Amino acid sequence: MTLKVGVVGGGPWGIALARAVARTGADVTMHTRREAKDGRLIKITQRYEDIGRCQLIVLAVPSNVVREVARGIGDHLDGSHLIVHGIRGLAPIDMHLPGETPADKADALHTVSDVLREETPVRRLGALGGPVQADELHHGTASALVVGSHYPEVTSAVTRAFNGPWLRVYSTHDLKGLELSSAMVGCMAVGVGFAKESGAGPGLLAALISRAVHDAGRLAVIAGAEEPTIYGLGGYGDLLSSIALDKRPEVIFGRALAQGKSVGAAVEAATLRVEAVALIPRLVAFARAHSVQAPAFEGLARMLEGHKPEEILGKFFQG
Amino acid sequence: MDQSAPIFGFNAARESLVRDVVERVVDSSQDPLFYLNDAAYNEIKRLESSRKKKDVERLGEWQRLARSIGRMSQAERVEKLRELATDYGWDVAGNFNPRVYKLSTKVLPGLVTGLLAPRTLATLAQNPRELVSLDALSDKVKVEGPIEKLQKLCNRGVMVYVPTHLSNMDSIVFGYALERAGLPPATYGAGKNLFTNPILSFFMHNLGAYRVDRRLRHALYKDVLKAYSCVLLERGYHSLFFPGGTRSRSGGIERRLKLGLVGSALEAYARSVRAGRERRVFFVPSTINYVITLEAETLIRDYLSETGKSRYIIEDDESSRLGRMVAFIRKLLGMEGAVVIRFGEPMDPFGNSVDDNGDSYDRRGRKVDPSRYVRDASGNAVVDPARDAQYTRELGEEITKAYVRETVILSTHVVAAACFARLRKAAPRPDLFTVLRQRDTLTIPRDELAADVRNLKDQLVEKEKRGEVVCSEFVRAASGGDLIEHALRAFNGYHETPVLVPRREGIAVFDPELLFYYQNRLVPYGFAWDAIGYGPTAVKPSAPNAAAPSLGGAR
Repeated sequence: MTLKVGVVGGGPWGIALARAVARTGADVTMHTRREAKDGRLIKITQRYEDIGRCQLIVLAVPSNVVREVARGIGDHLDGSHLIVHGIRGLAPIDMHLPGETPADKADALHTVSDVLREETPVRRLGALGGPVQADELHHGTASALVVGSHYPEVTSAVTRAFNGPWLRVYSTHDLKGLELSSAMVGCMAVGVGFAKESGAGPGLLAALISRAVHDAGRLAVIAGAEEPTIYGLGGYGDLLSSIALDKRPEVIFGRALAQGKSVGAAVEAATLRVEAVALIPRLVAFARAHSVQAPAFEGLARMLEGHKPEEILGKFFQG
Repeated sequence: MDQSAPIFGFNAARESLVRDVVERVVDSSQDPLFYLNDAAYNEIKRLESSRKKKDVERLGEWQRLARSIGRMSQAERVEKLRELATDYGWDVAGNFNPRVYKLSTKVLPGLVTGLLAPRTLATLAQNPRELVSLDALSDKVKVEGPIEKLQKLCNRGVMVYVPTHLSNMDSIVFGYALERAGLPPATYGAGKNLFTNPILSFFMHNLGAYRVDRRLRHALYKDVLKAYSCVLLERGYHSLFFPGGTRSRSGGIERRLKLGLVGSALEAYARSVRAGRERRVFFVPSTINYVITLEAETLIRDYLSETGKSRYIIEDDESSRLGRMVAFIRKLLGMEGAVVIRFGEPMDPFGNSVDDNGDSYDRRGRKVDPSRYVRDASGNAVVDPARDAQYTRELGEEITKAYVRETVILSTHVVAAACFARLRKAAPRPDLFTVLRQRDTLTIPRDELAADVRNLKDQLVEKEKRGEVVCSEFVRAASGGDLIEHALRAFNGYHETPVLVPRREGIAVFDPELLFYYQNRLVPYGFAWDAIGYGPTAVKPSAPNAAAPSLGGAR
């Protein structure tokens, strides 16, 4: 029986994911508000009930609309559905889960899967991450994707939907770790663009990245994830690919900042939404609230505030 | 009351029940060699250090078995497994005697009241009808929560009560609460050691308790236990589990649960759907709140002592001493609202809320069909241990959140937290063990303490309005001074050392350890010092609960 997959979100990332699934022979329906382009292998819909008829749902919308979208599709889903998301951001900042203790509430880093748990009746949730880039999925060039879920059924459905001779699906049970890794790598990619544009050599770049990953690992542990996840494909793996990929929006954004552009102008240069803009200050606040040292993320925050590269580096080396 | 609950026919069903359990354990054991080796290894390790004659004999048997497992044929191994599972099955199987049940729930409370208060007895002698009345206890022991809803739900599915656990009195007190609420009795697994406790065993032996031998750590025994619980639930026996595993040593609300038996309830539900006769399961997180705890002294000392990690079975605490028990009950009976049993809102096995009809609703209020959670994409119901373990973990999180919401704050908790905060400030160093050594070094002026207590109470009442905690009626209405008086009355006269001593200059802090025990109840709300590792950012001094045995593999 062919697996029915519904992709929600018709941006470049959603289209790339939908094409990758279509390539394995699964039955793909894509929900998009934009004009339909690819109608041959992928069925296009503008109605959420068509998504409800799929078994595996892949969410590829920006994090600022995820709550609204999840609520909308939630009306057409039940406990037998599986949802994974490929969103490189965290839950909107105003999110508080019911019954949270004050200690939890202190700048908790809620993830997109927490939003899905709130807004839909679905429990079998997961996330996509890893080094694979939209271009590779789009054109079917060889790469690797990571799925994170506590539910083996989700892992096997994603494997069925995406795994093929050109795409290898790896899995982790540390869902939160993968979500945090993807989000934090997005932030670090900004730093990569910034450092490269400022003329950092390979040695310095490697030092900055390693220190940043170390910070990320500490933050992930405090947030309830497992440290090794950040050192795996979903963290380091993803970050390495962004070093090589000058077209990645976060990297373009970082370069623009280094050229002295304002955050607004840099976002425009990146053309796509950069989740890191909102995330970096949040991660810094989180680190401070929990008395964890995160000099790399403090440095990223200074980039957003328009500080000069030498200044940022000087501070960073003092720490 | 309704006598149609399956438990009233329990004894007749016992044989077939044990047979089902054995079949299930033997069928699901893909690797009898592993099961036998694991059991032999764990049993030999346990028995080696014992000098008891019976244990030495058992040790010999296990050693002979261990030597011969390798040579056995597969059929012989399965046979041996069946034999062991049958022995364990009968060992676990409890007893339920409707006559004893009636006696203990109807007559005993009255009788106990009478025996402990001679004057009451004199009145009762003139009017024996009052002897069988439960009303004698009703203002001392409060039972609250969505009782009418629970009464309806018991006829629509099987109830799984999952209360907090502070005391060996809990199962008796909870059994009484069920009776008072007009709910049918529930079976539960009680530590085997409790059955040798002469006082408790009288109450428990025939009240539907099955026996859990917590010394047995091997997979075979744990699987028998889980299968037993699962089969009971599939047959519609309402059940009671204490997911905390053991009594809370710190006095705090449980945060880390042992989910083995909770998992068996989820499995029972999945099996019922697969068999095409869905039997809904309703989890009822509940809290049992005492103004003072029978075993507080032993428990907190155990928590603080180094040996706390290994002593998860305490054989000789206050619950085995008749004098202490009598003093405790006398104390409780002298105070209104001394015990509050609060049933929480019921939920389905997937953490969805449930209405009067037993229908499930998600967090957005959409009606959902719980059976969909155990079905795959093509609609077939499957029992998948890996999936169910995760559902169980998530349910465990919902239960711990409910504990925080449904905990009832009593005078002793508020007063202890206020005093302990003062003590911490006054201590030469702010670390826990320094603070705990401050015995009779601090006297707090009454009006200052009353102001602190008042302030704390006001914040709790604010929280209560947001549905984040429950305050007892007394706490809600009383002034700071009243709360102090009430707490003094509760503390003094039962605990061996006075916790707080009223003096002319104020209230003297006498037993910091017990204060610590009672203040720990307020930790999740941010109103008491978290030295017990409740919150994610707290520094843990030690985590005794973590070493307690898990009844299941799920964690």
